[in-house]
Amino acid sequence: MLPDTLQNLPRDERYAYARLLAYMARVDEEITVDELAMFEQQLGKALLSPNQREVLRRALKSPPTLEECLDGLGPEAGRLALRDSVLMAASDGSVDDDELEVLKEIAEHIGLVPDAVQQLIEWTKVGYAWMQDGYDLLNSLQS
Amino acid sequence: MFCDRVADLDAAERARYADLLVLIAAADGELVREEIQLLESFMGRAMVHPEARTSIRQGLFDTNRLSNLLKNAEIETLRYALRDGVLLAAADGDYDRRELRILKKIASSANVEETELKAIFDWVSEGWEWHAKGVKLSKLSARDDSLPE
Repeated sequence: MLPDTLQNLPRDERYAYARLLAYMARVDEEITVDELAMFEQQLGKALLSPNQREVLRRALKSPPTLEECLDGLGPEAGRLALRDSVLMAASDGSVDDDELEVLKEIAEHIGLVPDAVQQLIEWTKVGYAWMQDGYDLLNSLQS
Repeated sequence: MFCDRVADLDAAERARYADLLVLIAAADGELVREEIQLLESFMGRAMVHPEARTSIRQGLFDTNRLSNLLKNAEIETLRYALRDGVLLAAADGDYDRRELRILKKIASSANVEETELKAIFDWVSEGWEWHAKGVKLSKLSARDDSLPE
């Protein structure tokens, strides 16, 4: 939604970031339109080449394992990927148990405090409220 | 939820939405990385077809299409472009007067009044605060406190 430090990472780190999001989008075996739009949003934000984007779109159909995704992640890319994985998981309206389990695995892998995922979920809820305010604002405009 | 109804617009309207954002990004004569990042992010969220994105990117070098876009785009498209255009214009940390001029033209075509436009700017400011908190949060301290702040 807004620019951040992701753009400062080297391309292979941004690729690893996006690959983890591809994995995240498929955790519950199906991908909703909301998740797909969120994935495309983050893919755009990662400023990857068109070819890399194509490879990652294909990864949505046959995602890599979580271990493969985590192996390529550096510390900063890992933290950003976790944050945006929470956004991705919540994009269909809720974070289900399978998604929560994966998020906790990611947080543990990158060595974050135990309640990191919960803090990010709370932050995401605030973001939803902000987005909703934006819709409400557009809807309230004089026609 | 977080991904919004801009993706529900038909393909031609989504292309116009993205075209308008390109014009805003290019308005101040220089395109910083933050703006490109946001532009690509918005095109992704709108699920603009990858091939269409290529031609839309060409619009960065053709800034004379505003009047046609304002004439042809639907009100709903203009309003999405206005909301996300304000976010985009804020991406480099400052609103340029040329960006503001385009935003005001879009607002006028979308029947958005000045006070309503101000409310959109306020909403964007709130979003920046939320986002900054997310950036800070994504640097959550490690269990062994070895990660940099």
